[in-house]
Amino acid sequence: MRLLLVEDEQRLAENIVAALRETGLAVDHAADGEAGSLLAEQGLYDAIVLDLMLPGKSGQRVLQDLRRRRLHTPVLILTAQESKESVVNLLNAGADDYLSKPFDLGELLARIKALIRRAKGVSTPVLAVSDLELNTVQQTVRRRGQSLDLSPTEYRILEYLIHRPRAVVSQQELLEHLYDFDWEHHSNVIEAHISNLRRKLNLAGTEPLIETLRHRGYRLREEAGSQ
Amino acid sequence: MKSSVSITRRLVATVLILELLSAAALIAAITVHEWSVQLEIFDTSLVATAESLMGAVQDTEDEGDNVMLDMRGVRLAKDAVFRVEDQGGKVLGSTGEPPHLVATTSGAPLFRNLRVSGRDYRFIVLNGTRIVDPGKANGGVRHSIAIVYGTPLRHVWHEVREAVRFFAIATAFLLGITAALMAWLVRKGLSPVHELAYEAERIGPGDWQFHAPESAKKTSELRPLAAALEAALARLQRSFEQQKRFTSDAAHELKTDVAIVKSSLQLLSMRKRTLDEYGQGLALSLEDITRLESTVEKMLTLARLEQPAERYSSSAASQTCSLSCSLRDVIADAVHQSKPFAQLKFIEVAVEINANTDVRLPIDSRDALLLCSNILLNALQHSPDGATVRMAVTANDDTARLTVRDQGEGISDEDRDHVFEPFYRGDPSRSRKSGGTGLGLSICKAICERAGGSIEIANDALGGAVVTVAFPVKVVASSTLSASLKAE
Repeated sequence: MRLLLVEDEQRLAENIVAALRETGLAVDHAADGEAGSLLAEQGLYDAIVLDLMLPGKSGQRVLQDLRRRRLHTPVLILTAQESKESVVNLLNAGADDYLSKPFDLGELLARIKALIRRAKGVSTPVLAVSDLELNTVQQTVRRRGQSLDLSPTEYRILEYLIHRPRAVVSQQELLEHLYDFDWEHHSNVIEAHISNLRRKLNLAGTEPLIETLRHRGYRLREEAGSQ
Repeated sequence: MKSSVSITRRLVATVLILELLSAAALIAAITVHEWSVQLEIFDTSLVATAESLMGAVQDTEDEGDNVMLDMRGVRLAKDAVFRVEDQGGKVLGSTGEPPHLVATTSGAPLFRNLRVSGRDYRFIVLNGTRIVDPGKANGGVRHSIAIVYGTPLRHVWHEVREAVRFFAIATAFLLGITAALMAWLVRKGLSPVHELAYEAERIGPGDWQFHAPESAKKTSELRPLAAALEAALARLQRSFEQQKRFTSDAAHELKTDVAIVKSSLQLLSMRKRTLDEYGQGLALSLEDITRLESTVEKMLTLARLEQPAERYSSSAASQTCSLSCSLRDVIADAVHQSKPFAQLKFIEVAVEINANTDVRLPIDSRDALLLCSNILLNALQHSPDGATVRMAVTANDDTARLTVRDQGEGISDEDRDHVFEPFYRGDPSRSRKSGGTGLGLSICKAICERAGGSIEIANDALGGAVVTVAFPVKVVASSTLSASLKAE
């Protein structure tokens, strides 16, 4: 999952970015409203964390412009203002959630994950496709009750695919959503990870879960009749 | 409430009392006048009746030259008394018991007020001559007749009383109408006061808007009050809003700083880390806390400087000596303090002070240093790398001026109006990139105003901004200073 943080306070941004990356999210950071707006409107992100008081362009306007372009990326607002009025205005302007400063880092992470889940149509932290179970809180994967040991990147690829069951996900999309701008983009990195992931998922007596569609991408299969 | 005074009632009462007094005076005058008029009429009728009595003295039908009183054709007033006598004292006719009155010798009728049988009477004494048989050769016989005639005065009194009563009733009626009319008019005249009060009553903590009603503005007596109210409320509202803005800005600053510290520590405790990572994390957290500390310190400094000045001045009066410091030393300290920052940006700080003068600032040396270093720091922050910041001190008899010029981008008109407001950073987002919390110049302003000085910022003709601080001071000429040192 890839996330955009728009926050002008350098130290706060550093901390949030570090925490988000440690939980396995790809994070881009914009230090002002203009840059934030530009990045957000590319539609690459699975969630956006937006500070309200930004130089250049206020968080409120970034949000309004985003919604005007019919981008439905979930947005969590960080604010130091506490008036009920401004919260109501924000929610009406299209924000999905808000946290007031000083916030709890753990709460911020939990809320971001919940936002991403809900945006993808899932409401519990445990996702299941056929006989595969993925716990997004503990970041563990089980198949037929058997725990699988995945690397962080493999986990993230599987998490992304499991959020989009039956859809064809291209390598490009995986790259865009799993890596931030601080990483080198190599599509063969994805291929290598996918083949490792496939191997680890492949238990004896099961069918392969991840399909490869040549020149199109990958697809997580839901086996008929297995449930 | 019982001791309250009503202007309406007071005005009405005053006017009514005045009216009442003039009515009383008028009635007194009318009484006197009416009395004299009625008396004149009365006297005229007395004279007429007395003369008709005189005419009633007739020749008797006997051969003597005697006279008699023929009362036919004589009409007497009610309760009248009279007596007609001839010169021999013979009573020709009488009614009642008129007193014996002697006429004056001049022959003019005499009027006299007397009491007869318990009644007030007015008498006329008329002396006349009747000539019997004037056609005879000897010219007739002369009879001197004395007539005393009186009628009760009661009638005059009645007339006067009637007249006075009429006036009294008319006056009372008029007074009543006046009172009602006055009360209505005065109340109507005072309605702008009520409207003003109503308008003023609506002011509350939530709504500071006050517009004096038109009626109050048009009333010349109320105009100063309305204007004063409007001005006072506008001032209050401004300071209230300023206070509110300050509180919300301060909360924003503190929350942001606390959020940074909190997130730093929480990030560190998210999972087990190596000793090195803990060390780095703690160092960063310490930095974050230092920043929070400096924000709090600046706020407290500003709060201290904005304390009511009288406490400060009373203590200042007793320790004037300890509260003055040399501007030259303070500037040297400030330049020394900011040296690392200036070197980082390759900025040269040039100080020009006239060698012969030393200015003693009327403030605490700590505040003076804070003032100078804040202004210098501000100039350094707004200077491009490799520029020069010039500090200069000029002084005349009562004012010392410190000017600090930078070679930066100057200041916009909009910023100039707000740059001394707390937390103002020239950017609505309050970005901290330029450094500082936006309290530095506010602190400078507070220091200056406390000591009766002023601070302003303007654009230099050569580009860049120039901050000018002016202080009322005593200038110590170096020569006299050194002379006094020698004397010691």
